[in-house]
Amino acid sequence: MIESLEGSEVVDVTIIIDSLPSLLKATIMTLFLSCISVLIALVIGFSTALIRILKIKVVYEIASIYISVIRGTPLLVQIFVIYYGLPQIGISLDPISSGVMALSLNAGAYLSESFRASILAVDRGQMEAAISMGMTYGQAMRRIILPQSLRIAIPTLSNSFIVLVKDTSLVSVITVTELLQMSSLIIAKTFEPLTIYLTAAAIYWILITFFTTLLDKFEKRSSKHLVR
Amino acid sequence: MQVIEVKNLKKAFGDNPVLDGVDLSVNKSEVVVIMGPSGSGKSTFLRCLTYLEEPNAGIIRIGPHELHTGGKLDRKRKKEIRELRKKTGFVFQSFNLFPNKTAIENVMEGPLTIYGVTPNEAKELAESLLVKVGLGDRCDHYPSQLSGGQQQRVAIARALSLNPTVMLYDEPTSALDPELVREVLQVIKDLAEEGMTMVIVTHEMNFAREVADRVIFMDGGVIIEQGDPKELFDNPKEERTKRFLTMAE
Repeated sequence: MIESLEGSEVVDVTIIIDSLPSLLKATIMTLFLSCISVLIALVIGFSTALIRILKIKVVYEIASIYISVIRGTPLLVQIFVIYYGLPQIGISLDPISSGVMALSLNAGAYLSESFRASILAVDRGQMEAAISMGMTYGQAMRRIILPQSLRIAIPTLSNSFIVLVKDTSLVSVITVTELLQMSSLIIAKTFEPLTIYLTAAAIYWILITFFTTLLDKFEKRSSKHLVR
Repeated sequence: MQVIEVKNLKKAFGDNPVLDGVDLSVNKSEVVVIMGPSGSGKSTFLRCLTYLEEPNAGIIRIGPHELHTGGKLDRKRKKEIRELRKKTGFVFQSFNLFPNKTAIENVMEGPLTIYGVTPNEAKELAESLLVKVGLGDRCDHYPSQLSGGQQQRVAIARALSLNPTVMLYDEPTSALDPELVREVLQVIKDLAEEGMTMVIVTHEMNFAREVADRVIFMDGGVIIEQGDPKELFDNPKEERTKRFLTMAE
């Protein structure tokens, strides 16, 4: 009786150690998904923000619809549409590509709004000062407005990135072996859901803490001109 | 020689006319002060001169650059507007320094971007301009580390960095604490003595009396009266000018 109680300790350290290599390997997939998606999302977000600010005909409408649709539907539904839905019209993507596509389209819409808000948040006088010197609109944007708006955007960008890292867990439903999917696979063999899921949670937490510290440092560095 | 020539300048915001046919000629090295009650159109007039506001009608010439209103805003016209702006140093009421750049970087920005000079040349030029406005020891300070008066002097140095034909000041001391006004006015006065052509919108009467060659009184989007500062302040002819001066005393 007593022995069997000891055998079913709530958290088993040896199980953590045994499963750690697989979990870390899956973490690399999580990192890969996050980093690739955030890069693509930055490009999408930045260009759609510019399109909307410059009010470029036709593409402006497309960008607005894109942002509205993405922000108005659940990410899980978007993943299903891309992975299960698109093959019906002849577009078959493997799970990882589907995941990257869904994640970057999703984050891109949110980043677009952050970028747009941060560009509009730069004082109007900055643009006037720049063009009054004889700069073109493009020069003023590049040299004066965008560097300032980037600093304003960092906190929300950082937030979006955190959400993105966590959202990678959703692509486990389309059989991408990232951290959460790997945890479930290990649990299927070990029957230790609490231990394994807690370990996975800890890894997510460490990852995100690492990135937020990094981004905080970057924000501090880009705000040095505000320190008296 | 006339450096600025403005003919029949008109500007309306929606249905609200702000400038109703303003003519102005400014000679080389002349210092013109524009006064008038708020809403009289004086700031709008100044902003129209560099097309920060696009006028609805009229002709503007600064140096050799002449712009007629109403043209299509194509590539050629945009370039003409930029050429006009390069020759026109503009100083804002709220300074509008670039907050993420140091004083010297603020002054270097124009020559680097507009004239494509080397960083070393820009630095040398910026340094000499900051020395000129009395801030040689503040080159590496960010705007947030400078007082309002110092920020405005950096802004003047920045406007000078493109070697403008004329300098325009839009209420340069209105955002300053009273004890900081003097240092900014002194810099403007020094420039006047060097022979810089300037148009200044300001409420500083003593300054106008001291420095201006001509004072213009504007109200309701038109020039009501203009002349020698002593003449205009002590002996105004128009009823509206009199009323304004009594109010301002």
